[in-house]
Amino acid sequence: MAPDLTFRSKGGPTEDVQTGDNEDEDEEVDESGYKTVKDAVLFAIEVNESMLKVPPVSSSKKGDRSSPLLAALKCAYHLMQQRIISTPRDKMGVLLYGTEASKFYDEDENSRGGWSFPHCYLLIDLDVPEAEDVKALKELTEADSPESADIFKPSREPVLMHNVLFCANQIFQHKAANFTSRRLFIVTDNDDPASSNKGSRSQATVRAKDLYDLGVTIELFPISTPEYPFDTSLFFDDIIYKSSPSDPEAIAYNPASMVDGTGSKLVTGSNDGISLLQSLLSNIASKVTPKRALFSSVPLELAPGFRISVKGYLLYKHQKPARSCYIYLGGERPQIVTGYTEQVAFENSKPVQKTEIRKAYTFGGQQITFSDEEVKQLRNFGDPIIRTIGFKPMSRLPLWANIKNSTFIYPSEEDYVGSTRVYGALHHKLVKDKLFALTWFVPRRNATPVMAAMIPTLPAEATDDKANVAGVSATGAPQGLHLIPLPFADDIRQNPPTTHQHPLRPPDDLVDAMRPIIQQLNLPKGIYDPSKYPNPSLQWHYRILQALALDEDIPEKPDDKTVPKYRQIDKRVGHETIEWGRRLEDAYKQYQAENPDAVRTGSKRATNDPAATSSAGTKKVKSEVGDPTSEEKIRELWQQGRIGQLNVAQLKTFCASKKISTAGKKADIVDRIEEWLESK
Amino acid sequence: MDKEATLYVIDLARSMGEEHSGRSISDLEWALQYVWDKITNTVLTGRKTLQIGVVGFGTDHTSNDLQDDDGYRNISVLQPISQILMPQLQALPAMLRPSKTDDRDVLSAIIVAVDMMAKHCGTLKYKKKIVVITNATGRIDDDDVEDTASEFKGKGIELVVLGIDFDDPEFGFKEEDKSPVKMQNEKILKTLVDLSGGVYGTMQEAIDELSRPNIKPVRPTPTFKGQLKLGDPEHYDTALSIDVERYFKTSIKRPPTASAYAVRDAALPEEDMSAVHSLYKYKVKDEESGGGTRDVERDELAKGFEYGRTAVAISESEQNITKLETQAGYDILGFIPVDMVERYMILDNSSMIVAQKGNDKAAIALSSLIHGLYELGSVAVGRLVKKDMSEPIITLLSPFVETDFECLIENILTFAEDVRSYRFPPVDRVLTVSGKELTEHRNLPSEELLDSMSEFVDSMSLVRGDEEEMCIDDTFSPVLHTIEGAIKYRAVHQTDDIPEKSEMFLAYSRQPEELQEQTKGALARLIAAADVKKVPPKTKGRRKYRETEKPLSGLNVDDLFRKQNRTQISPDNAIPEFRQMLEQSSDLNLVKDAVQQLASILQDWILRSFGDANYDRVLEGLGVIREEILGFEEPALYNEVLRDLKKKLTAGELGGNRTDLWYRIRVTKLGLIANDTSPSSDVSRADADTFMSLKG
Repeated sequence: MAPDLTFRSKGGPTEDVQTGDNEDEDEEVDESGYKTVKDAVLFAIEVNESMLKVPPVSSSKKGDRSSPLLAALKCAYHLMQQRIISTPRDKMGVLLYGTEASKFYDEDENSRGGWSFPHCYLLIDLDVPEAEDVKALKELTEADSPESADIFKPSREPVLMHNVLFCANQIFQHKAANFTSRRLFIVTDNDDPASSNKGSRSQATVRAKDLYDLGVTIELFPISTPEYPFDTSLFFDDIIYKSSPSDPEAIAYNPASMVDGTGSKLVTGSNDGISLLQSLLSNIASKVTPKRALFSSVPLELAPGFRISVKGYLLYKHQKPARSCYIYLGGERPQIVTGYTEQVAFENSKPVQKTEIRKAYTFGGQQITFSDEEVKQLRNFGDPIIRTIGFKPMSRLPLWANIKNSTFIYPSEEDYVGSTRVYGALHHKLVKDKLFALTWFVPRRNATPVMAAMIPTLPAEATDDKANVAGVSATGAPQGLHLIPLPFADDIRQNPPTTHQHPLRPPDDLVDAMRPIIQQLNLPKGIYDPSKYPNPSLQWHYRILQALALDEDIPEKPDDKTVPKYRQIDKRVGHETIEWGRRLEDAYKQYQAENPDAVRTGSKRATNDPAATSSAGTKKVKSEVGDPTSEEKIRELWQQGRIGQLNVAQLKTFCASKKISTAGKKADIVDRIEEWLESK
Repeated sequence: MDKEATLYVIDLARSMGEEHSGRSISDLEWALQYVWDKITNTVLTGRKTLQIGVVGFGTDHTSNDLQDDDGYRNISVLQPISQILMPQLQALPAMLRPSKTDDRDVLSAIIVAVDMMAKHCGTLKYKKKIVVITNATGRIDDDDVEDTASEFKGKGIELVVLGIDFDDPEFGFKEEDKSPVKMQNEKILKTLVDLSGGVYGTMQEAIDELSRPNIKPVRPTPTFKGQLKLGDPEHYDTALSIDVERYFKTSIKRPPTASAYAVRDAALPEEDMSAVHSLYKYKVKDEESGGGTRDVERDELAKGFEYGRTAVAISESEQNITKLETQAGYDILGFIPVDMVERYMILDNSSMIVAQKGNDKAAIALSSLIHGLYELGSVAVGRLVKKDMSEPIITLLSPFVETDFECLIENILTFAEDVRSYRFPPVDRVLTVSGKELTEHRNLPSEELLDSMSEFVDSMSLVRGDEEEMCIDDTFSPVLHTIEGAIKYRAVHQTDDIPEKSEMFLAYSRQPEELQEQTKGALARLIAAADVKKVPPKTKGRRKYRETEKPLSGLNVDDLFRKQNRTQISPDNAIPEFRQMLEQSSDLNLVKDAVQQLASILQDWILRSFGDANYDRVLEGLGVIREEILGFEEPALYNEVLRDLKKKLTAGELGGNRTDLWYRIRVTKLGLIANDTSPSSDVSRADADTFMSLKG
């Protein structure tokens, strides 16, 4: 975790632009090139009498008694915390409309020309959230009677939607210029905001088109009541577009809502046990991650001369806590420091120009150089492509054959019309006959080529209560094909050493005793559902940071969902494990009786193998000579440029004494030590 | 790892300079391919403990420890046993040349080698190996064959004899018209090898094997040692626990990385390079200073984290405060059927879980779990904490059973945060906006397409019975071996071009030819049924979005705009209005006008930008102009905008020094539209590149 990482701070905004030379990096690239790969979400929440109405006490204990407005704000609060963890560079804001009060940057009622956007209250500006924003939302939602806050007082005159949309337009232009993804989330129960004013309606249509042309997607989260279903045809169908310009090939608008087959309407006060808050949360959560393609112009070749176009997405990727950074405390408020590096020549520490740098490989103590042209030639294995080599049954894809995360590919009609149906046919065949395609996969120009298995999503069985309209898997993976990079022969490690030529096999009755244990401890639904297991380290890291940032009390005990349910295990298989333990003792006794020598070897190795002790002894002497791991000595070596002469064990000893990470190869450790020495 | 000493005993007699068996290179050159490969592979590892020596025999001179005895003449130690570095490696080619004599006794040379080996290694633990390369045409005094063989056995030295054009019925090689001397010598050498328990082979076989890349083994080191538990042994006596160890099963082997060196003087030879290292510097925003930033010293800084855009400093004593407290251990959470594993969800490399080494009880216990899982078709879900205070990971444990090895295979599973719930429409049906399901649609395969796809896939199977083509064990990392190969080649052949890529790796990148042949008919039918059409590059531009530019209701928004009649672009809504103006008209004059209007708005934004405040908007605006203009195929319009901008920027007319903006225009690839992008452009790629440099 964090302290194990190098302490290099992030770069400025220019470094967010992909330059395209990051080998083996899985970063999403926006192929339009000039845009910053970031997302901005602005919530626009309507304030009116019905949005403020607190639902009656429900019979179920879990029932959340939030007014629609409060539910929306709670969602925003929840999302803000989530986005700080998962997408710390993305922006978010909250705009209330229909309020008596108005607020827009540094305007006030005395501004020239009055309010630009009356009854629009910019509660939280569109920006990377800061602790104050989280705190503000928290206080609003956790107040005793939150609905009575002054700012939530509805305006007496109806709000003009074109004003709201143009207000959003201005916010996006100023605060999220050049973002790849900009979304406006409208939460309201008012399906006809322009009912009384025809002119405003057509103006709103124009302003909606402006947003569309600006590249802003509008997502509507309509709230219905059992008495009054929300009718999108009254107004919203005129301002919402089928797809955003960045996602031209989406067929059905809003496939998310089709997962449960119930449509996207949110119902307040419904008595099916699901509160408005929960459904709003899950609806928004399903849309909150902007879809970012990993690549979009890599063809899928089924055979020479037969290609279709696909886009690649990363569905699974390690979410790690942000690196620790350096903070400057000398200013008015703590400031994050930007780190940068300067290349200097080793001997005289003089800066080196880029043109003076040559890349060389060390071989036999000397440098072997290649020209840039030669390096390119060596690395070039052809254009980016997913090329089908042939097909094999799934049984030929063992679980161990894994080296990194998969890439999801989805058809696009962009380069080849008809791609979708061909992809569909291939998907159908692979699912039906349990096959995978072996492919040659070069994801980017000059990327390291790999062999990858192309496998279909595991279809979930449709159950009675839920029709699986979108064809997703049991854990919600979209229907389609995944590329799993396979190891090469070079990547397979040898088996660990054993003391027996053949593995010891248990007697049948011991295996029999194990079966009921396995059978009785199946996970719910027989699946591993990742959504049930948040990463405890990550959550704790941010939980503590939040507490520190907001000056809250530090929580005492983490909520770790990954800890096994010990009590249940004891209850369910207690008898069986005792029986298994008894049989193991018997089996072992019998084994000892049959192999009297075996036991001795085992214990002898651990204690008094003369060879082992003597070699350990000499090692120790070697590293004690003049204690090369003292700071003084290391610094001296560093100044002579000879740190690399120490062995890894010595380097690690030094690292341990200075709390420097020892991860990675020797060169990495040396780098970190140098960095540390420089910083002192 | 064990120390290794390898001695190459190489026949350098005159006859080795001749060409045989239809080869176009001399026997020596041919055999040396093998030697170079082995030696450079060893050098590449950079290990001090892999030592090599070279003995030549049939040399013009004599230089060895036993030379006082006349039986050991024409034998020269060319390289004593030591680690080989570049100087030694580079000295070897000059010494490995055919001599002017054919006088030598290979057995004497072997005895010299055994003597060297014994002296070098003494009683230290070494893996010792002597590799003899000869055409066996010299006279051999075979008196000492038995004694020598027992020396090999007694000293634990492995003997490898690789003979040029030796007969090898197993490999399938027989030299025609072999001389009786050679025939006799082959027999003697065979006897020696058999008696000493070594390896005897013909050179061709060794050369053939070179094409199979060399895999460098990595010593297995456990990445976790501890208990695999079901239940909590601290609080429940029903808990089950087994002592286990964890080792990597796979791990990506990356090609060697080049490091940076500085050439101080272009005139100096490249060996005279200085290592480059990085200095870390830190800066903070400071509006009072000139550039908007100020350098700070490391001492002035505290460590901390970002929470959103808030900096949270953490004092030295509390560095661990955000770390979750954990205890090392491996817990089983539960079990699932292996059929329910979503294979694509797995992250990272895989590991092996085996019983603690030497612990037979643990081995029996773990084996009962492995076999239990295997028989039930189940896998376990586990939670691993590698050591105290390290973060937990969730794993999938599946049984792996072979006759000589068994273990649990461990894969790393995703946490909730690792999953990105992107939504995609299903591929096996089409849903309309109203939620209706369509069974026939241009995006859905027809029966005919399904059938021909099925036939095609079946004809492309890489598995025939037990025969599997391109299995993992037979595919080698192309980049790794190509780069290593090039380094080794260049080390020995400094002035040559880099070698061609090996055919072997290129073969992975295409379908096997016999498959292509056999699938022709099926493919033709598939292509016909699929009816895929390539989109011509030109129409890929903006026209595409035309159809979708209507709201859900299908309202014709254009009508509304006509009424509005926007001809002036207002700065506060510039991009939408610019786009709308272009949509309304394809009159080139109007397009020009719109571009000019937006361009001057952009310049105004730059002029009024405080620091870099407006840069993102400017880049977005430029990007939009460029994109739209590309659609119109009027590259000159954009190029003009950019030229004008550069002129004003460099003249300092837009608010002083704006070089940082120009830099960002360059890195975001918003340069001139060259004729490789838009054929009607009068700018070449090279000119476009020069233009982007401010010096140019």
